[in-house]
Amino acid sequence: MIVTAPHSRVARWPAIRPWLGVAVRLGLATVWLVAGGSKVGDLAASGRAVNAYQVMPYDLATVIGAALPFVELALGLLLLLGLATRLSAGVSAALLVVFVAGIVSAWSRGLAIDCGCFGAGGELAAGQTPSYLPEILRDLGFLALAGFLLIWPRTPVSVDGWLAGDASVEDDDE
Amino acid sequence: MSSRKGQKDAARVVREQLARERRRKRTLWVSVAAVAVLVVAGLIGWSVYSSQRSDDFTAPTGSNEAGTGVVAGSGPVTVDVYEDFLCPACKQFKQASSPAIDQLVSEGKIRVVYHPVAYLNRYSSTQYSTRSSAASGCAAEGGRYREYARALFDRQPPQGGAGLSDEELVDIAAGVGLDRDGFASCLREGTFKPWTEHVTEEASKANIASTPTILVDGEEIADRSPEGIRAAVQAAGR
Repeated sequence: MIVTAPHSRVARWPAIRPWLGVAVRLGLATVWLVAGGSKVGDLAASGRAVNAYQVMPYDLATVIGAALPFVELALGLLLLLGLATRLSAGVSAALLVVFVAGIVSAWSRGLAIDCGCFGAGGELAAGQTPSYLPEILRDLGFLALAGFLLIWPRTPVSVDGWLAGDASVEDDDE
Repeated sequence: MSSRKGQKDAARVVREQLARERRRKRTLWVSVAAVAVLVVAGLIGWSVYSSQRSDDFTAPTGSNEAGTGVVAGSGPVTVDVYEDFLCPACKQFKQASSPAIDQLVSEGKIRVVYHPVAYLNRYSSTQYSTRSSAASGCAAEGGRYREYARALFDRQPPQGGAGLSDEELVDIAAGVGLDRDGFASCLREGTFKPWTEHVTEEASKANIASTPTILVDGEEIADRSPEGIRAAVQAAGR
């Protein structure tokens, strides 16, 4: 198969992939840092945003709402450092799947809420209509980033690579 | 096959196995550390939130029993009004429908509970929703919630800015006949901020997702026009 593929493309992918990986890792890190940072200032509002989905009791929603921004920030930090990249990507993917499921369920139940994705939401501002589809598509885009890192977790300029010593060694770990 | 080559091969296999073992261990510890970081982060969030919460609140004079809103009138049908002073749709509602509501109150047909929720803090740089709601508590304490709320909506600041200053909130209070100094100290001391938090939390618990939300005997009404409210009250009164 390698023989039949055009030479240039074969040569390019291994050269590009590590740097594309860095971009993806930093991109996903930014997403989490911004998402967490925008909620961390008002934890009560974050709890209300979770409660607005009406999928769990209020008290549980406030606990999740308070914990989530900090977990998002921590995930962003891990990805920024490139520490435990595969695990972080896995947790990211799991969270994103839960978020998408939440939005789909709110949509299907006809709730009119703000997803609270960036900045504590829950309640819609005046005259706003829910924008569920763009929110879902955006989360799916982020999911693709997480998927890339699940498959190729090893990227240059990462703590994982530094710990492994030789970055050129392909291992399946992290 | 020479025994020397065999020894070399065996040594290489052992080395590779040791290296694999080291990698496996490293991955395990890195993963454990990362999971610990995430769990600790979550716990920090929870404890920060718990420490921020205040369970004690003082409801202003004229509140309902649960302390979730300010009551006007004593008619048989209860109308709940959830409003945020920064919400433009609430302003429109107030200007269009409050004369009708006031009339229903004075006719003795309804009992209104106003819930000044602080939902839209993220749309101002100074937590205007919380500040204005706490200010409305001070107005309720002085017996003039409705007048003050009306005046706040008439002077509603745009979303995304700093909102009205505390001085302006006091000026408006004086303008509707409240005692300037008493109101100013109530506002300055944040007397009703915990109440605002309580009102907001209870509204969220009641699954009020947007403002304004109007309930007539517990049922949300879609038509918030004066006619819609009259019709809903009439239907509930039967």
